[in-house]
Amino acid sequence: MRPASRRRLLALAALGAALAPAADAAGDGLRFVDRAAEAGLVAPVWCGRPEKPHILESGGSGMALFDFDRDGDLDVYVVNGWRLAGREVVERGRNALYSNRGDGTFDEVAARGGVDDDGWGTGVAVGDADDDGEPDLYVTNFGRDVLYLNRGDGTFARRDDAPSVDGWSTGAVLFDADGDGDADLYVAAYIDCTLDEVLAAAPALRWHGRQVMLGPFGLEGEANRYFENLGAGRFAERTREAGLADAGLFYSFGVAALDLDGDRDLDLYVANDSNPNYLYENDGAGRFREVGLWSGAALDRRGNAQAGMGLAAGDLDADGLAELFVTNFHTDASTLYRNLGDLLFADATESLGLVEPTYAPLSWGASLSDFDLDGRLDLFVANGHIYPQADEVPEVSGTYRQRNLLLRGGEAGFTEVTDEAGAGLAVVESSRGTATGDVDGDGDLDLVVSNVDAPPTLLVNESERAGGWLAVDAPQALLATVETGGRRLVRHRVAGGSYVSASDDRLHFGLGPARRVERLQLLFPGGERVELRDLPVDRLLVVRR
Amino acid sequence: MRIRSFVTMLAVACLAIPVAAQQTPPPTVAAYDALADTILAVRRAELRLVASLLDAHRGAAEARMKGGDWQGAAGEIALFANEGDNAVGGVRKRLLEGGHHFNAEGEKQGAFEAGYVIVTRAAKEKLLAASAAMRQATSDDARRAAWADFERTSAELLAFD
Repeated sequence: MRPASRRRLLALAALGAALAPAADAAGDGLRFVDRAAEAGLVAPVWCGRPEKPHILESGGSGMALFDFDRDGDLDVYVVNGWRLAGREVVERGRNALYSNRGDGTFDEVAARGGVDDDGWGTGVAVGDADDDGEPDLYVTNFGRDVLYLNRGDGTFARRDDAPSVDGWSTGAVLFDADGDGDADLYVAAYIDCTLDEVLAAAPALRWHGRQVMLGPFGLEGEANRYFENLGAGRFAERTREAGLADAGLFYSFGVAALDLDGDRDLDLYVANDSNPNYLYENDGAGRFREVGLWSGAALDRRGNAQAGMGLAAGDLDADGLAELFVTNFHTDASTLYRNLGDLLFADATESLGLVEPTYAPLSWGASLSDFDLDGRLDLFVANGHIYPQADEVPEVSGTYRQRNLLLRGGEAGFTEVTDEAGAGLAVVESSRGTATGDVDGDGDLDLVVSNVDAPPTLLVNESERAGGWLAVDAPQALLATVETGGRRLVRHRVAGGSYVSASDDRLHFGLGPARRVERLQLLFPGGERVELRDLPVDRLLVVRR
Repeated sequence: MRIRSFVTMLAVACLAIPVAAQQTPPPTVAAYDALADTILAVRRAELRLVASLLDAHRGAAEARMKGGDWQGAAGEIALFANEGDNAVGGVRKRLLEGGHHFNAEGEKQGAFEAGYVIVTRAAKEKLLAASAAMRQATSDDARRAAWADFERTSAELLAFD
């Protein structure tokens, strides 16, 4: 471990890279097209049997957008599960690593890169686990989890003594919990069960006249765990010492680490299925206190625990405090918690227009991102039912395969634009994880979406642009603030988030009509600030400490 | 062990029943009666235990309020609203997994959340509002108002025999 005092601003390099000109037209149309097949994202992602008799088979999996080979474009890592038939394992799906050719099309290189794990995968975290400056991967599995250390030459080394959670681990984040400069690890878990139990499972719950899978109630929860980074990719479990003991053994899925209270350290938020969500306040030294109920971010506005699946975070009102959006079960709205400061949250779902569009679908991954570059965060939500039997009673809660959801952020809240958003939003799958990033290098944000028992979707952003953009590559920053054209915009760096996935961690701003950024301020853990003035737009800015 | 003893007693009693018996043998009735006492006592014990848990949060909230720790008071009120902390929530989850619903009928009617013993949905909403109001209060008047809401609702919930 390195003492905090040794951390200091070492270097600052601003590398302007004009990637694409911004259109001048005021954007009023969000549009996406699915280019997965032509881009080469073709391997199916398996998750059990078609009839889904065990809850493990409903979870699907996540994905990561990150630049594993440091060639400047975003690559895609897709976590895969197993395909079952009856009581047999038919295929152990292998995780895929799609290397970006630089134009948004891909070569599958997982075997060559040594990351083609064939465990029953669920989630993935990206971070520098061994402090060598290269992005590593932590994959959560039903069974032993896997840590892949990036060698920096396009290949990874599998770490045999990696930390792991038995049973079904789900979301994970690599983040500097204790402020010592290296990436610690938090792993969420759902249930503890065996493969024999999964293979022998039969639908045991009566649901609208149909037999469906049992759960989550009636199944034994598995404990979430925390591992402190000891250096060089070695970890030691410190769950209880860090105050992160999973007292309720709640069923956890999505996890995100970000500074929620503006005290310059990383807090943790965990979406729990059918139980109150966890919010862990960090004291700055890696000791946490669970304050979910106290904060108002554990339950909906009526005090109900919901079926938390995934989450997105973003600062909607540019006050420096990130709001939280948590996805939930069908016939129950996803919830947007407005951050009032001092870790107090208020359920603003209704006032922001999110009850009606999110009530019917069963939602998973989510992204609060400025897709049309107008300076306001829009919202994408991945949907899909857990019961294939829903197709027999679609009037109850829709079909098993569902359309995803797109909402445009505006002055008074969100407006659903799914129907007008092009062929990409007409795709009907049972979607789960989603990750956000500029896949084709044109300056706007694209999406990759993991689908159950189907190949992923690649939603290329073809929205009408409302202006220019600025992307900031500052892996250690907590947040960045931009002042331009009389507006103030704030983007938080979020580790994890969505549903068991990892988005590109660069801070991305849509700037509207402004042609220059008057001031960019980056805030680092501990309070160090870096300020840059009078920057051109349509650039990727690289900032290193 | 108790169940095994009861089953053994029942088996012995059954062997003693004449084929034409019209009455359940008194030892069987007595055994069942004793079991009923146990079942009902356990239910009362659960109610008392949860009440004492709530009373502890109420008392802690009061102590923090008197000590000027408004945030702490708000936290205790939130835990009262949730009928305990996450550890208690874990126990409640176990009971539900075992099929035990203290207020099964109340849950069907929507009055109670699954597994809750004393705090109704309506009361929980009021209590969480009081907690949030306490946290956001910037004046003594606002804190007193939030506290009054909590006192009124908690007193109603704990006023049972």
